[in-house]
Amino acid sequence: MRLNSLKSTGSLGAMLTAGALSLAAGTASAETMLTVWSWDPNFNGDSMQRAMARYQAEHPDVSLVVADFGKDALEQKLQSQLASGSNQGLPDIVLIEDYAAQRFLLTFPQAFEPVGEHVDLSGMAPYKVALATVDGTAYSMPFDSGVTGVFYHRADLEAAGFAQDDLVGITWDRFIEIGQSVEAVTGKDFLVQPFNRTDLLRLMLQSAGTWYTTPDGAVSLGADPRFRKVVEEYIKVMTSGIVQDAAGWTEYVGAFTSHDVSGVATGAWITAAIKANADQAGEWAVAPIPRIDGIEGAVHASNVGGSSWYVMAEGPNTEVALDFLNDVWAGDSDFYADILADKGAVGSLLAARHTAAYDAPDPFFADQKIWADFADWLGVVPEVNFGVFTFEAEAAFLAYVPDVIRGDAALDDALETYERRLTQAIR
Amino acid sequence: MKSMKSNGWAFIMPAMVMIGLFMIYPILSSLWMSFQTGRGMNLSFGGFDNLLRLTEDPVFLQALLNTGTFLVVQVPIMIVLALLMATLLNNPDLKFRGLLRTAIFLPCVTSLVAYAILFKSMFALDGVVNQTLIGLYLIDQPIPWLSDPFWAKVLVIIGITWRWTGYNMIFYLAALQNIDRSIYEAARVDGVPPRAVFFRLTIPMLKPVILFTCVMSTIGTLQLFDEVVNLTEGGPGDATLTLSMYIYNLTFKFMPSFGYAATVSYVIVVLVAILSFIQFYVARDRK
Amino acid sequence: MRSFRTLATYGFLGVMAFVSVFPFAWMIIGATNTSADIIKGRSWPGSALAENLSTLVTTNNVPEILYNSFKVAIIGTALTLLVASMAGYGFEVFKSRFKDRVFGGLLLLMSIPFAALMVPLFVLTGKIGLINTHIGVILPSVAALSLLFIMFYFRQATIAFPSELRDAARVDGLKEWQIFAFIYMPVMKSTYAAATIIVFMAQWNSYLWPLIVLQTNDKKTITLAISSLGTQQLPDYGALMVATILATLPTLLIFFVLQRQFVQGMLGAVK
Repeated sequence: MRLNSLKSTGSLGAMLTAGALSLAAGTASAETMLTVWSWDPNFNGDSMQRAMARYQAEHPDVSLVVADFGKDALEQKLQSQLASGSNQGLPDIVLIEDYAAQRFLLTFPQAFEPVGEHVDLSGMAPYKVALATVDGTAYSMPFDSGVTGVFYHRADLEAAGFAQDDLVGITWDRFIEIGQSVEAVTGKDFLVQPFNRTDLLRLMLQSAGTWYTTPDGAVSLGADPRFRKVVEEYIKVMTSGIVQDAAGWTEYVGAFTSHDVSGVATGAWITAAIKANADQAGEWAVAPIPRIDGIEGAVHASNVGGSSWYVMAEGPNTEVALDFLNDVWAGDSDFYADILADKGAVGSLLAARHTAAYDAPDPFFADQKIWADFADWLGVVPEVNFGVFTFEAEAAFLAYVPDVIRGDAALDDALETYERRLTQAIR
Repeated sequence: MKSMKSNGWAFIMPAMVMIGLFMIYPILSSLWMSFQTGRGMNLSFGGFDNLLRLTEDPVFLQALLNTGTFLVVQVPIMIVLALLMATLLNNPDLKFRGLLRTAIFLPCVTSLVAYAILFKSMFALDGVVNQTLIGLYLIDQPIPWLSDPFWAKVLVIIGITWRWTGYNMIFYLAALQNIDRSIYEAARVDGVPPRAVFFRLTIPMLKPVILFTCVMSTIGTLQLFDEVVNLTEGGPGDATLTLSMYIYNLTFKFMPSFGYAATVSYVIVVLVAILSFIQFYVARDRK
Repeated sequence: MRSFRTLATYGFLGVMAFVSVFPFAWMIIGATNTSADIIKGRSWPGSALAENLSTLVTTNNVPEILYNSFKVAIIGTALTLLVASMAGYGFEVFKSRFKDRVFGGLLLLMSIPFAALMVPLFVLTGKIGLINTHIGVILPSVAALSLLFIMFYFRQATIAFPSELRDAARVDGLKEWQIFAFIYMPVMKSTYAAATIIVFMAQWNSYLWPLIVLQTNDKKTITLAISSLGTQQLPDYGALMVATILATLPTLLIFFVLQRQFVQGMLGAVK
């Protein structure tokens, strides 16, 4: 109640300010400073700065300041502030990870500007737009696509007598066989996953077009047969002996960069971590992710850990922020080529596929055209509604299913407890 | 004015003003919140619905059990260790005293980030701890410190003890200064054995501070958050999830249930009230 | 027997000291290694210290961050010590049944998890107009973080404060505040020393509240800077280790300086 009344007067205020701004834009001296909250300044912050540099060519009076926080810290900060109903110090643009998007949009319905109403998003990867769509209205400017691949040390695969093509277009069952053959020769697990995380399951679920909850908010386990099928496949992968448990994020990155394991399956943003080891140049390759057999529409493409830009409806410069996103982020292929070449950032603009940067071979990956591959996969990632209960579902999943993987529980029992707990948590 | 001066309220007032403004108001607001139910900002008055939800929430019960386990096992170990070290370090004949004191205090200022990275690599399956234990023939299989529910709890207890023992030791060292050394001299001249000096002299003299550290450690453990988030992330599953971490999840990670989160917070308050009462009661002056 | 006991004492304290120092030493070693080496678990000194330091100072305004941290921690500590010791003194020296009840009630306030108070506290701070200011960090964190705790500590320590001293001072005609300032404060030196360490550490390391209140990079404290360094998709662990050392040194220095207060009485006894 209190929040809503504050919000409505606030947005009126924002409209008035925005109006005043566009009037003031006529006079040369007016300066606008856009504020952005994001994490990872080298990657997200710097991409934003480069976009602004381009925008400034036409709009010298606009500048940008990025405030950096950790990802969790940023979510926590934004949530506290929105819950308090105070507009004081709100930024113009924030970065939100895809998994949290619907939660923010539905918890604070009037806090975010419907970007899709002001900006043409038709050139963006459809699954990214869908993630931030509520009742047919899109609320985000898609950014980090999170498009996935299997990254691996080529020598390990070849040591077991396989070629790069043997990993292309296969099912998870075949992938397990190959992984086991590789391990028999090299003694190394093929993949790694941080203990207490479910990145691989996320990857498999979205590649099959399903998620923990259905688009109308029910628990998928009872309602969508694909979910159970994916979980069974996931357990098969996890018990096949080809996935190493990492103690945490650092150990996870350490495992594949120090070649304790052969590779990793995750979002393209991991490329930066891989390339940080210059001595391994030329040793790496990328394969599309395996497909889940027996599910119609399951593909070799998915999304892990993508994120997008959101405009605060009551930020100080909403109009300018929207114009900026529209001008650079919504259509400037050269910009996307630029952040790809320098940052390894795979954006969500499909047209950027046709730039030279995307077509260039990458020497670190033995001249494989990995970026063209990612861009191709980007177009086929299935649309999924993450809903608002992803973290509740994963907490419940991690509480019971690892017992099945360890062999201490039966799958049916674990899933039954999982379903009961999740239903209770989201009622 | 005279009465103000002589009854001491003037000394207390500044603290009361600050607490009144920055604590009482938010507390009343959160207390009101604990009677609200609903998701996000769509809250409505729910009476005691949140209390009922507590009783049938398996995650809450698990978090309560975990927190209780940490409290019962860890606090006594830490208090005894800290007392022992403070007494040993208070010996004026001890060499390298300053060095040892600083070393033992170090953990609580060491950055949580560095400590988490290091602890996780030390306690990894093939980490230095398992290698040492195997090398000493104490175990023949590596201990799954992070992925086994029991050992993960042990790891958290080791982590908290490591970080906070030196911190508690400071309070004892400071308090030991208030004990007149001549009493110790007299005891030594009279040939009282060191163990008796410790139990008959040191412990009774330190009682107010021991009570203080016990109450504070109880509160600290009931609000345990940092170690769990950084070492085990509450896992495996919910094996090391604490009440505070659950409150955090309910507020920031899950679809926010501000009212329910506030209710869980007041469970901690009630527990502290009961436990502090018991501790004060046990430590009361028997006349 | 005696030599065995001495040996056991050194052995025990030595092991404890080693265990305590180990992660700290590892952090210093980490600061000399490249990020990639730290991830791989390299545990001997490397040669990347200068590089890490330059990464840190080019990506962060280190002097500004340290200035902010010192400002918040020093003002916060001084304010807490003064207000809390006065209150602890008042509650113990001017004991009454009513005050004991009030005190018990205050004690309970301490047990409310800060996460539960954050949103209303933010509303309040916004109303006073203190968002994105250091005062807005200091006042609520003094009140909600360490005030009650240190007040409780001073009250417990005051139990040992000899009442004869106070009575004598009253006979000499000193006013109550003079007794507090000129008798109590000097006598309780070791308590103040311990409290300074504890409060400074709490204020210096405080994270949750500054995170919510501070909005811009130029107001950031070092804990916020470390948090954003450490949670990137590919953290630069080398620069992070340098930053954590910077974050640790001030508290350590204060401990080093103030620990003398703990041993002074002891030295007096030996002389």
